[in-house]
Amino acid sequence: MSAPADDDAVREWAAARRLPAPYLARWLALGPDDRAALLEAATGLRMRAGQLIAAFDLLEEISVRDARPIAAILARDEVRRILNGTGSGPGRAAALLAALRALRFPRLARATERIAREIAALGLPRGIRIAPPRELASGEIRIELAAHGGEELSRLLDALSRHATELARIADLVAGVGWHDDEI
Amino acid sequence: MRFELDAVYVEEEMRATALARRVIAALPPGVPVYHVPDGRIAARADRGAADPFAAGKRRMVIMRRRSRFLTGCPAASNEFACCGYLVMELASNCPMDCGYCFLQEFVADNPGFQVYANYADAFAELDRVQAAADRPLRIGTGELADSLAFDSLTGMSRDLVRYFAGRAGLTLELKTKTDEIENLLDLDSRGRTLVSWTLSPERVFRSSEHRTASPSARIAAARRVLEAGYRVGFHLDPIIACDGADRDYSALLDELFATVPAARIEFISLGGLRMTPGLRAAARRRFPRDPMLLGEEVLAPDGRYRAFAPLRMRLYEAINRRIAREKPGVRVYLCMESAATYRRVLGAAPPAPAALGARLADGNRRDG
Ligand code: SF4
Repeated sequence: MSAPADDDAVREWAAARRLPAPYLARWLALGPDDRAALLEAATGLRMRAGQLIAAFDLLEEISVRDARPIAAILARDEVRRILNGTGSGPGRAAALLAALRALRFPRLARATERIAREIAALGLPRGIRIAPPRELASGEIRIELAAHGGEELSRLLDALSRHATELARIADLVAGVGWHDDEI
Repeated sequence: MRFELDAVYVEEEMRATALARRVIAALPPGVPVYHVPDGRIAARADRGAADPFAAGKRRMVIMRRRSRFLTGCPAASNEFACCGYLVMELASNCPMDCGYCFLQEFVADNPGFQVYANYADAFAELDRVQAAADRPLRIGTGELADSLAFDSLTGMSRDLVRYFAGRAGLTLELKTKTDEIENLLDLDSRGRTLVSWTLSPERVFRSSEHRTASPSARIAAARRVLEAGYRVGFHLDPIIACDGADRDYSALLDELFATVPAARIEFISLGGLRMTPGLRAAARRRFPRDPMLLGEEVLAPDGRYRAFAPLRMRLYEAINRRIAREKPGVRVYLCMESAATYRRVLGAAPPAPAALGARLADGNRRDG
């Protein structure tokens, strides 16, 4: 168990980063372990106020959903690796937010990853962009072609038609078809 | 079910109405009754209360409705496949308290539980609509309120059922999460009242649907009104795509079909959880520990938070498959989803609102 966080250290951090008062109040209202774990992450990763806010919101949501304390979430292996890592503070802060988002939206993360993998596996030429909707918020997939001249366009269209079956499968995935039972 | 009230406010002008008299006669002892010149003021949010919306639910305001009773469904829009529903606003707000309820945003400024004592004026509007209609119409009272909550006090359902019993081409839909059906059981609706229940799996009920009847109690109530000669329908709405939701909904449908034969069900509507950013913020503020409000919702193109599309569509499909396995042909429709989603999930383009509305109104009697 970590030592109770020093409220003054939390207040100092908040004042230096101009953290909005409601977030400071929520932070101080956490239990001692959660308060300390969040402070360790904030200082260790030299977070900006905006990053702390985003991380804090995600942590609270995961904590309520999974009925687990914030300190336990920050102690998970994939999170710990980032907190203890050696990269730059901002890089690790961004990685932490990405890891927390994946914990908060695990099925969305798996779905996005699988679709991205399937698109990459097509090896389509430059000039074709397969764009699933942002956060898979709709069932609509877009395909963009960027060509200079008819010859290049024909080449891109050929590539698309060679991959028509795989593209249809990807479009199906975006529309909710073709997933394994426990995948999403 | 019985709900608690802190006070009843009666607009002076309405104090002699049958509804005001019925409510006051049936109130439990100790609930104060105040007479006020303008119920609209009594219905306003009490900004000094810790939770003005919750406080409003406990304050019944018996007042005159000043605008039309009949409106189009507030959810109707060109964006969505639509079921051609008409809404009759006889009350506003609800004594139950569901974490996801859109009223938290919709009536935030006027959360008093308003009951319109001049509701019989709606019948003249209905007569005009009936005279002009070229198709059967379904008219619901359960959009801005639960149709049966407090019916033990207001007794409104009895007048409504009797009115509709005499109106060919009009179907009344009473939509509820209660089991307050006693007022209905001895009436002959002549098949022109449909009682519908919104159903959720046990986990959602326990987590989010405060003061509602349990899903089992709702299903049992449906069976009783069916036996009393009413038509019944069900709304799986909002469908919450939490982990294990497909199993939860399958178990819920098992229980439903074991009690209410699928062949006797007029329709089952499906609608995924959807929340405007304002509603989501209000809901989370009021229920910060409800995990059902913390699903994998993302901002959808219509500006509402919804479960991301593949997840939502898979769940719709699984539910639709389970329903079809019980009885192919049970009418299923989607609420507040695009035509593309409708096609994708139900395998056919959505019918025009008027046609779907007519089918839902006319029900199994004609084409089921
Ligand atoms: S029963 Fe319906 S109207 Fe009442 S709180 Fe729940 S969702 Fe809202």
